[in-house]
Amino acid sequence: MTGPEPHAVGIHKKEGETVKKFLGVLAAAAALTFAVSAGFAADAIKVGFVDTYTGPATAYTNDVLDGFKLEIGKINAKGGVLGRKIEFVTRDDKYKPDIGLTMAKELVLKENVDLLVGTISSAVALAVSDLAKKEKVPFIVTFAKSDKITGSMGHRYVFSISENSEMAGRAAAKGLAKKPYTKYWIAGDDYEYGHSIANAVFSHLSELNPKVQKIGESWWKEGETDFTPYITQILAAKPDFVIVATGGRGMVNFQKAAQSTGFNKRVPFYQHTAIELSTLSPQGQNAPEGVYGTANYLFYFPATKENQAFADEFKKAYNRQPKIGALYGHLLAKFVAKAYQKAGKVDKEKFIDAMEGMTLDSPVGPMEMRACDHQVALPMFFGVTKKSPQYEHLVAGDVISVPGKEYLPSCADVMKTRAK
Amino acid sequence: MEFLSHLFSSGTLSQFLVGLSRTTILFIVSSGLSLILGILRIPNVAHGSLYMVGAFLAYSVIHLFGGGVAAFVAALVIAPLGVAALGFVLERGFFSHLYEREHLMLLLLTFSFALIIGDLVKIVWGTEYRSVTLPVVLQGSAEILGLPLPYYNLVLLLVGPVIAVFLWLVINRTKMGKIARAAAVDREMVSAVGINVGWVFAFTFVLGCFLAGLGGALIAPMTNISLGMDHSLIIEAFLIVIMGGLGNVWGALLGSLVFGLTQSLGILVWPKFGIVFPYLAVVAVLVFRPRGLLSSTW
Repeated sequence: MTGPEPHAVGIHKKEGETVKKFLGVLAAAAALTFAVSAGFAADAIKVGFVDTYTGPATAYTNDVLDGFKLEIGKINAKGGVLGRKIEFVTRDDKYKPDIGLTMAKELVLKENVDLLVGTISSAVALAVSDLAKKEKVPFIVTFAKSDKITGSMGHRYVFSISENSEMAGRAAAKGLAKKPYTKYWIAGDDYEYGHSIANAVFSHLSELNPKVQKIGESWWKEGETDFTPYITQILAAKPDFVIVATGGRGMVNFQKAAQSTGFNKRVPFYQHTAIELSTLSPQGQNAPEGVYGTANYLFYFPATKENQAFADEFKKAYNRQPKIGALYGHLLAKFVAKAYQKAGKVDKEKFIDAMEGMTLDSPVGPMEMRACDHQVALPMFFGVTKKSPQYEHLVAGDVISVPGKEYLPSCADVMKTRAK
Repeated sequence: MEFLSHLFSSGTLSQFLVGLSRTTILFIVSSGLSLILGILRIPNVAHGSLYMVGAFLAYSVIHLFGGGVAAFVAALVIAPLGVAALGFVLERGFFSHLYEREHLMLLLLTFSFALIIGDLVKIVWGTEYRSVTLPVVLQGSAEILGLPLPYYNLVLLLVGPVIAVFLWLVINRTKMGKIARAAAVDREMVSAVGINVGWVFAFTFVLGCFLAGLGGALIAPMTNISLGMDHSLIIEAFLIVIMGGLGNVWGALLGSLVFGLTQSLGILVWPKFGIVFPYLAVVAVLVFRPRGLLSSTW
């Protein structure tokens, strides 16, 4: 090698210039974006949202933001907390951990947020959680369902205000253990959430009822549109009951296939969030009846004054019924405001101390932020889909409410996973 | 050997028919992709997005007409035409100016349209899940050896061959089709004999988009119409096109058959890993016939 030929150098130089130009444009664009977005008032308490605002997950995340806005608006109207308004900015993580992490870094380092919140993606949540630990910024996870968040990878700076797959599994196992079924089939979306929810349900179910056995499994790709071949195969295997571990879009897709094949009439099945409005409302009167499901929020149950008031208020503001995300957003606003109030000043460590063990009233009853693992203990509803003359969509019938403390893993169990 | 016994069980026939019906939508979408790829040489990444628009349009049309058979049929006509119109605008407004540029430019342009259309769908239809209900006559299912086969899958079994014949007629029996095939082989020669290749390309692009829209309208009653449905489809469609032979419409048909049937029969044999069979088929084809099952126009 005697060095590059002059010709080659010329090309490289040209490319270099183009790249420089390109980077220049990019930097200008970025500067413009940040300049526009930096909208915090000088003395505001700054909350930074990192969440998925593009793609299919927006069907859930918009409710979180709307629930939060509604409640925080009321708090600010009364003068805010400690005489300061609570303000927020949002960043789109596009459901990607690397982007989510970059956004969270920007919020912490440039915007100096007091608190990070958000994300429906477990991968983003875990990445941001790691940053929160390093930067010592509190981070409240709003929607991600991985039990690692407050379980094995939990730490002082991370909180969760939604149920996780382990909790859903325990609650569902409680409901199913009383049923007479023994031959179970497991089917689901072939990604982490699908597997973890299926494992959680089945492992706890077999503890509670040793007679149950798994006769087979089927797994399909996330985003599968046609479940008919899977359904006919499961029917041919003749199980008593099927645990269907779908999430997101898969919930509705599977129910539609169940309806058109009459699957629900031949074999009963369970899906976490099968009874939730996000799953049932798009299908109108044509959702399958008799599907077992669990959910943390139903706008019509419990039929208490508080729940009614929350649902009415949300409907009035956004012209739709609140779904589970709306409850998360509402809880988030309440926890944040109450914690700063209790802390007495806007301080990251004091905020965490205040959050630990905090209780508050909610539309679904009292709830607690457990001090040991920073996991919220909220009630879970177990029910079965049925038609209702009152609504344009199916609702949950025979609902039983499982209080948080009955289905959360014990503090000792959580600490064991962290020690590993 | 235990695996094989599943293949000859009572479920085989229904699994085979379900697989065939699945093939229909795969074929309709991938044949459109293949046409555009073969004649215009554009790997249209936005094809999946057009399919998504077709599904959303079908939703809107069915709601506008208030459900029922008439509304459903109207959706099957209007949604693909709407997507074709969008395709026409895209082709005349953007792609037609770039045919002389490198493929990379065209690829980037289609990719940007995939993103833009995704956002447009979000602006127009919002982020909520949408769902359409089949007309009452098509709800429910027939029984084949004790296992259900939804009536709608039976409809798809009929639609598939109809579309295949339609495409055959367009490509082989119309003047436009013949010119398009000639242009695929040698576009300079075609323009040299005085034919306006631009319009041939526009026609092909619009036809491809029509097929994407039709696929979307047909899938609408089976699935949850949501953002992101484009991503899951476009990968399958490209695999099918690659497996069948780039740009060959009959290759797309063969590829869809292989893809749909290996999936449904694979599920029967090994449900836990049913997901891998169509992809194994793709790998096998690429190893033994790297240029695809049928001859590629590239």
